Amino acid sequence: MASLKNIKLKILSYKKTGTVTHAMEAVSAVKMRKAQERALGGRAYAAAALSVLERVSGTIDTSHHPLMTEQGGKTCFVVVTSDKGLAGSLNSSVIRRAEHEISARDLAPDQVIVIAIGRRGAEHFANRGHDVRIRKENVSDDLSESDLRAITDELLSWYAAKEIGSCVVVYTNFISTFEQEALARQIIPITPLAVRETVAGIRPARGRYAPSDEAPIHPATYLVEPSVDAVLSELLPRLINIMIFHAFIESKASEHSARRVAMKSATDKAKDMVKSYTRRFNKARQASITREVSEIVGGMEAMR
Amino acid sequence: MAEYPNTFDLVIASVQETQYDGPVLAATLPGSEGEMTIMPHHEAFVTTLKPGTITVRIMGGETRTFSIENGVLECSNNRVVVLL
Repeated sequence: MASLKNIKLKILSYKKTGTVTHAMEAVSAVKMRKAQERALGGRAYAAAALSVLERVSGTIDTSHHPLMTEQGGKTCFVVVTSDKGLAGSLNSSVIRRAEHEISARDLAPDQVIVIAIGRRGAEHFANRGHDVRIRKENVSDDLSESDLRAITDELLSWYAAKEIGSCVVVYTNFISTFEQEALARQIIPITPLAVRETVAGIRPARGRYAPSDEAPIHPATYLVEPSVDAVLSELLPRLINIMIFHAFIESKASEHSARRVAMKSATDKAKDMVKSYTRRFNKARQASITREVSEIVGGMEAMR
Repeated sequence: MAEYPNTFDLVIASVQETQYDGPVLAATLPGSEGEMTIMPHHEAFVTTLKPGTITVRIMGGETRTFSIENGVLECSNNRVVVLL
């Protein structure tokens, strides 16, 4: 039987761990609420912006715009992970998803460019010899859409220079506090199909932004000012930026939710362990008392 | 909006917040080709916006103004969406 002192130390250490995880849970709970609000608020805008493109592309011929046509070149992956761990399987599933996309496309490592938002993804891909062109780490929760514009501009310049032929963003879609899903979406070239998928993915199944059953009505003709190209050149980069931003805020909401849940189960586990070790401690204490008493009694018997 | 036949729905939204969402009588916007006023039942229309002020006339004779840096306007089915 373990000594009383050892058990006592174990109980103490579990209690400390529990306190720490409990504090982290509380912090994550606050961050989670903010990030969830933000993600859900941003969805309305993203959905509106994408459905504008959806409607417009249903009417005007957009297929000749460079950002909407296929071109050869490398594939760029924007991988959105968290900076810190302790968030359950969140980062590993994003990374697995990204690896899966790379192998599904049969891409050699030199055909892949990685833009990593979040330290976890950056380290993973840098360690495996991928070309991590942009690393964005320690990003604050309330990063605004304009802060990501530098990345979008860089991306568009590579595309214009024909260095990359397509761009895929891999992120975690926030479904609920207990459910997050790693997703990959192609953002360049923009295809009407991808847009429709993203819009469908953005809208939650229930609630205020739930999708309506009616099909989008495409007006027969659009009056476009000053020209189709000018409007698309303004609209498309904006949409790409929004999609990256959307991926970012969804991932943040997912990160804090996943961490909160992970910390909650860690706290519960710590409590369980304290309970079972306390029981063992009591048993050991009782056993040692019984032993002492029987020793004394035995000694007394011997002296008679 | 059958009870307000002479209005249209206007949404002015940036990523951070929806600045306006509701029925309006008319909206004056700084289009890239010059200032324009949109009335109800405007034909389907897409344009870019340049820096300036959006003036919105809402019911009861009130006006609201929003200053913008840039944006895209899309109008279809008596609904105008301005993305900032």
